[in-house]
Amino acid sequence: MLIEDQHSVEFRAEIRAFLDVAPSEEILEAGRKTTSVFAPFKETMAWHKILFRQGWVAPTWPLEYGGTGWTVEQRYIFAEECNRRGVPPLLPQNLQMVGPAVLGFGTQEQKEEFLPGMLSGEDFWCQGYSEPGAGSDLAALKCRADSDGDDYILNGSKTWTTYGHHANKMFALVRTSSAGKPQAGITFLLLDMNFPGIEVRPIVGLDGCPEQCEVFFSDVRVPKRNRIGEENKGWNVAKYVLEFERGGSSFGAWLVPALEKLRARSSLALDDSGRSVADDVHIQRRLTELEIDVRAVEHTEKRVNANLKHGENPGPMASLLKIISSEVMQKFSELQLDIVGLDALPLQTAALAVGSDIAGFGEESDMLVMPYYLNTRAASIYAGSNEVQRSLLAKAILAS
Amino acid sequence: MQYQYNEEQSQFKDMLRKFVQDKYGYDCHLALCKSEQGYSEEHWQQFAELGLLGLPFSENVGGLGVDSGFLMAIAEEFGRGLVLEPYIATVVLAGGLLAKADNSDLSNVLLPKLVAGDLKLCLAWEERASRGNPLDVNATATRSHIGDNLLINGEKCVVLGASSADKLIVTAVAEDGGLNAYLIDCDAVGLHVQAQTLADGQRAGQIRFCNVEISADAALFSDGKAAATLQETLHEALLVMAADGLGAMDQLLALSLDYCKTRQQFGVPIATFQTLQHRLSDMMIACEKTRSLLWAAFQVQGSSEFGERVAMLKAQIGSAGRYVGQQAVQLHGGIGMTEELSVGAYFKRLTVLDLLCGNRDYQLNYLAQRQTQLTVDAA
Ligand SMILES: Cc1cc2nc3c(=O)[nH]c(=O)nc-3n(C[C@H](O)[C@H](O)[C@H](O)COP(=O)(O)OP(=O)(O)OC[C@H]3O[C@@H](n4cnc5c(N)ncnc54)[C@H](O)[C@@H]3O)c2cc1C
Repeated sequence: MLIEDQHSVEFRAEIRAFLDVAPSEEILEAGRKTTSVFAPFKETMAWHKILFRQGWVAPTWPLEYGGTGWTVEQRYIFAEECNRRGVPPLLPQNLQMVGPAVLGFGTQEQKEEFLPGMLSGEDFWCQGYSEPGAGSDLAALKCRADSDGDDYILNGSKTWTTYGHHANKMFALVRTSSAGKPQAGITFLLLDMNFPGIEVRPIVGLDGCPEQCEVFFSDVRVPKRNRIGEENKGWNVAKYVLEFERGGSSFGAWLVPALEKLRARSSLALDDSGRSVADDVHIQRRLTELEIDVRAVEHTEKRVNANLKHGENPGPMASLLKIISSEVMQKFSELQLDIVGLDALPLQTAALAVGSDIAGFGEESDMLVMPYYLNTRAASIYAGSNEVQRSLLAKAILAS
Repeated sequence: MQYQYNEEQSQFKDMLRKFVQDKYGYDCHLALCKSEQGYSEEHWQQFAELGLLGLPFSENVGGLGVDSGFLMAIAEEFGRGLVLEPYIATVVLAGGLLAKADNSDLSNVLLPKLVAGDLKLCLAWEERASRGNPLDVNATATRSHIGDNLLINGEKCVVLGASSADKLIVTAVAEDGGLNAYLIDCDAVGLHVQAQTLADGQRAGQIRFCNVEISADAALFSDGKAAATLQETLHEALLVMAADGLGAMDQLLALSLDYCKTRQQFGVPIATFQTLQHRLSDMMIACEKTRSLLWAAFQVQGSSEFGERVAMLKAQIGSAGRYVGQQAVQLHGGIGMTEELSVGAYFKRLTVLDLLCGNRDYQLNYLAQRQTQLTVDAA
């Protein structure tokens, strides 16, 4: 990076001073023990609340609704400093997903009712989009909402709902009409997880931990005033949210320090003779190759962000960023596995729970390597699989 | 040139496939993963009854003395069925080394028990620093002050089957600087086994030896043959482990083909999408290349080329297993990331296999150094 201007230097110092004192031990432990994109729930929400009190929880939101008014560069600096300090990344559902939907399409009344809880972290909203039959083909969703006076009556199910078992609220896409194109009969609804008729079943992941859930609805009454946007126009809301998400990404801010740590890990002595994995030129080359990929992601992200400021839409670059950042994370997770080697083999789920008093084998950072590798396979599946993203990219460049 | 199982081996393999299918559903695998022991003693006794535990050993210790094609056949079916019993640890690794030991007093007593299912062994050779090289050993065997006794000191990691073994064989450097292997009871004083559950559910152990006192006749080798024999045993074990991995890869390909044909998105089976078709082809290519290298190694067993071909095979199973595992998860989408389907279990088995006994990086270095050495020798 170029030498920062005085303004950025001061900004960075201010962030750093806050981060040095604000997170508790538990929050930092959760940050260390984050092995998927979704950090441990309880401590991450505690951190969410602290950032809210500081006024820094929603840098991407408009200032008048609780945003920070920071520039894109300042947001990146904030992300860099958060990663340096090792605090858990905030869960994206409240602030990057449902928040923008309400901001963009909600009535004044809905904004007043729902935004404060999203912002403060009093509420946690899970995302009820995917269904067993509707993954990549989201518009095929079937979960039905039938009109009944002032209510909708919901029947069907959702799946892969991240932290559905922790959530008290859900934003969902539901079917209100089967006429016309599938996209045309979808409605965006907000619901309470304690509405009668909702049942949640956690799904155990590859690392042995429940993170996603199945959610079943039988005759669940949802008041119509919980609808965001018009009936049958939910697809537009969902698309708007996706666009809101685009740009402003900061994977580089995570990858750069992570790579530094991996280099340090590779040069740890293996035994008394002082030999290390980094003595192997092959490993050195792999680290260097990875660094090139990491820098490419970092600077593509920054380039896209810089252009966004001038009012440009990232367009197909959003797909490109999704693809390269997920793939470099996967490559990172593999090299890390190869460097740590045998020490990564025992899967120590219990020892990795935040606050666990089970000691486990070896260094905590080594225990994280296997679950991280396993969980990072999801990065090319969620948020539009990489196959689907490549098709979008191809369509865009072929059309131009 | 043998490139497939012969008739006898095929029959045996079919029989095993049925046995594994009957006994070993995915539910059973999951239950065993979560059980205290990590495997089923009942299954182990059935292995004994079927003669599986005696396959490679000579008839005078109760074995069948058949070639490693049979062991490959077993391993393929065990890999395909996600079998968790410590077969490779006991029979192929520890049993294999013991059968080649100079100390026939030990092998003649222990192998019949092993074959009968009454004794489980493990081979403690990997160390943190060895990174796959069996000759890179820090553990020591020094003379104690009592008679001819020896003291074992050191630490071994990810010892397969350690938590279920009755006795273990440990490699250590003797006072003359030579490598040897020693038989020790798992309840010996000064020996600490920390049981581990690996990512694929397999059990292993971290073993610390603090002045573990053994008598001199616990040594397996007498005349400096230990190093070569240990390497040979590991090469044979790698052949069998690769067959296990291949069984898992074949099964992942079969599961993925099935899934892509049945899973519908956008109103069509996802197998309709060309990018996924190509992915399936690449997975098949990875399996077939591995199968070729497996047989290529099998053919030269016992010759000076065996080590090289086994290293190639292990490097191949490392990358091919990783590719097939990752792509099988990818093609399954969200459900591939869960315990609900067996896909993830195979993916994890292949991940663990790659890192055991020298990962791909180690094998590449080994092969490159060997090549350099040959060039130097020729000049
Ligand atoms: C960790 C994780 C967290 C998640 N969290 C949530 C959540 O909170 N809320 C929520 O609603 N959902 C969530 N999801 C679901 C996620 O959005 C879906 O998994 C994703 O949309 C893919 O759908 P699927 O799993 O049904 O796979 P499928 O769509 O069935 O895909 C299977 C395979 O087919 C490929 N494929 C599909 N269509 C095409 C095509 N047209 N061309 C080429 N290839 C294609 C895919 O790329 C994939 O490889 C989560 C998923 C994961 C893994």
